[in-house]
Amino acid sequence: MTNPSAVPAAAPRGWRAMLPRRSPKLLVGVGLIAVIALFGVVGPLFVGDPATIRDVGLTPPGGDFPLGTTLTGQDILAQLAHATRGSLYIGLLVGVMATFLSALFGIVGSYAGGYVDEAFSLFSNVMLVIPGLPLVIVISAFVPADQRGSWTIAVVLAITGWAASARVLRAQTLSLRNRDYVAAARVSGEPAWRVIGVEILPNLLPLLASQFVFSVVYAILSEAGLSFLGLGASNSSTLGTMLYYAQNGFALQRDAWWWFVPPGLIIALFGCGLALVNFSIDEIINPKLRDVPKRGKQQNRAPQPAERPDDDVVLTVDGLSVVYQVGTPVHAVKDVSITLRRGEILGLAGESGCGKTTLAYAVNRLHRPPAEVTTGKVTFHDRDGTDTDILALKPAELREFRWSKLSMVFQGAMNALNPVITVQAQLEDVLTTHRPEMTKAQRRVRCEEVLRLVGVDVRRLTSFPHELSGGMRQRVMIAMALLLDPQVMIMDEPTTALDVVVQRGILREILRLRDEIGFAVLFITHDLPLLLELADRIAVMKDGEVVEYATAEQVYAAPAHPYTRKLLDSFPSLTGERGAFVRETSGSPL
Amino acid sequence: MTALEAKDLVKDFHVRVGLRRINLRAVNGVSFTLTPGRTVALVGESGSGKSTIARMIARLEKPSAGSIRVTANDREVPSKHYRNHVQMVFQDPFASLNPFHTIAHHLARPLKLHGRPHGHDEVIKLLARVSLPADMAHRRPHELSGGQRQRVAIARALAPGAKVVVADEPVSMLDVSIRLGVLNLLARLQREEQLAVLYITHDLATARHFSDDILVLYKGRVVERGPADDVILNPQHPYTKILASAAPNPDARGRLLDIDPADVEEAGSAPSYDHYTDELSQ
Repeated sequence: MTNPSAVPAAAPRGWRAMLPRRSPKLLVGVGLIAVIALFGVVGPLFVGDPATIRDVGLTPPGGDFPLGTTLTGQDILAQLAHATRGSLYIGLLVGVMATFLSALFGIVGSYAGGYVDEAFSLFSNVMLVIPGLPLVIVISAFVPADQRGSWTIAVVLAITGWAASARVLRAQTLSLRNRDYVAAARVSGEPAWRVIGVEILPNLLPLLASQFVFSVVYAILSEAGLSFLGLGASNSSTLGTMLYYAQNGFALQRDAWWWFVPPGLIIALFGCGLALVNFSIDEIINPKLRDVPKRGKQQNRAPQPAERPDDDVVLTVDGLSVVYQVGTPVHAVKDVSITLRRGEILGLAGESGCGKTTLAYAVNRLHRPPAEVTTGKVTFHDRDGTDTDILALKPAELREFRWSKLSMVFQGAMNALNPVITVQAQLEDVLTTHRPEMTKAQRRVRCEEVLRLVGVDVRRLTSFPHELSGGMRQRVMIAMALLLDPQVMIMDEPTTALDVVVQRGILREILRLRDEIGFAVLFITHDLPLLLELADRIAVMKDGEVVEYATAEQVYAAPAHPYTRKLLDSFPSLTGERGAFVRETSGSPL
Repeated sequence: MTALEAKDLVKDFHVRVGLRRINLRAVNGVSFTLTPGRTVALVGESGSGKSTIARMIARLEKPSAGSIRVTANDREVPSKHYRNHVQMVFQDPFASLNPFHTIAHHLARPLKLHGRPHGHDEVIKLLARVSLPADMAHRRPHELSGGQRQRVAIARALAPGAKVVVADEPVSMLDVSIRLGVLNLLARLQREEQLAVLYITHDLATARHFSDDILVLYKGRVVERGPADDVILNPQHPYTKILASAAPNPDARGRLLDIDPADVEEAGSAPSYDHYTDELSQ
């Protein structure tokens, strides 16, 4: 259950998660939008009539006219203020209408399912493949110019602009409607409209906001394009119509840059501001996009492998500490020292968040910022007598080292196989990367060898992953980890997702392979009884520390740490007494 | 006196494989009765149909055939009051509470929907029944630990006054050290309020200690049923025997290689489409 990315500081959720984080992107974006919106709303009150014609055509900026005048002597600043207001008006109208349409077709359709969903989805798809701008041009051209007001244009833009958002919302709703909390609301008897409105919709808010912002950008740009082509709203003034008149007045040829640059700039800056806000909203939906400030660099240390304690040891972890460098640094692994002997199965037990997965990742240098090894040493003692300080390896050396000396089977690894590539191609890929000197025939032989080792029929080589059962896929992953004959295998909850009977088969295989090949296994799991049966020695972790480290027999017979005792008591015995299980008595719960 | 009677439940799923439509029978003629104050455990591995049965009892899926009758005070409960009597606790407390709403919302809604008083006091009473402090009411799910969330989920199931509770792997997503606490809570509520509990799990050990009767499911059929201790300590069906011997057992170190691999492969493989080809004709 542990996941290194889950350890850093608890992210705010609920209401606060709906608000974007304050980042430079967001501040700049909101600033740009605020300034332009203020100009559009308040500006027209202070500037004069934009339509007044004077005999001071094409005056450059300065004096009475801060932004100069048009060919017919109209004040460009006044025009700009009114045009900004016009464009914002259309943008807002389209944003509201398009978001409403996309929510209606996207959310309601996918929640209802069945034929309603099919029909709504088909309609959205049809709208999606109709090229937007040409349709807008055709529709606008059909509406007589004197009836083409802002509303007409806004409706046309909304009709052509909602479909893509509806697809996005549909996909997200399809995922949300299968969540347990939606099922729970149905079981408690909530009517459908409340399930959509109260349970699903709030969780779609960031997405809706993002789609709204996107619609506004789309509307302002499309309206400018339409107006520029002379198909925009008549009798209205927008940034597009300004550009249209500048074009007709040959502003470019007359070097009257002050006529077309300001409206162009406002369109660009407003679009830019909305896009920046959208980035910030995206970061709420997908926290992985957030920039993690990197603190300090990996210290470059001279390789200093630990002393080889005796020939039997293959891996030494000495005083290892791993810290997640977030707001308040989290010490996920605290001063852990363990040794792994050749042919030994070392069990690492602990509950979620105890740091066991972080430890496994750090041993293999798979940890990523913000996780950082602050102190300690991880030394690999090779069969041939050389010792390697894993934490000091250079990237190229590390690539060489990983998998060939020390391989890893991840939690849920069976889902890590690429679904569109055959098992054989995926196994051979490892060989071509690490053993480029092998011929095709040799690779084939090796792949068959490892599959046979893990008890999978070699005919499965040509199968695709989905044709194999979960247990079989996990065996293939173990085969992949065996390909290069590693001396250490780290297995992170390799059987947690599997049924007990399948798990038993895989454990049997691991034990047999260990006896035949003699590699050492670091076996990580929350299942202490399993380790008691399987492992030679067991380390129990709690809050980043190893609180108990002894042979399996000792841990079972005489656990030293109270936490170990508590863990042991938590597993009711299948055939023994009820233990802590208070079913028959009326004791108070934990 | 029975609280719920399920008779010959059948559930077919239609799966499209390429151009063919395959009829996948997930549940095949399962019958059982739930009695107030007793717990029945449904034990099986993934694909055995146990969650499908839970979802049918909770009316999240419609049975393809068979019937579910709920009785209260010896009278059959009409369909529209079904949910006042049958509630469900879901497997994953991290998914079954809406991250957007407070705990109070999660508890007040079912109270209101089932026409009971739904003020702050009632919410706090519910919280107290699952041993949670009153100040939990204003918190949101992410502020609670997994065990606390599952207690909220149990309180939500109790809110409508349900007498039948379906618990679908209620502790499998929780850390081991808090599992017993949640199970003991369920056991206490069951005893004190005479609930009829259907406990669905893949864990034989908790099934034995937590329930009165055990039904072992294999590929949609009940292969063995009986009092909990009899089924676990003296299994009759070969599948139950394999299941019991596959569970980790610290007292049996070194027996890992004793299980015949052929049995394991045979019994352990998840139901695949070819197991259902004989039912295609139906």
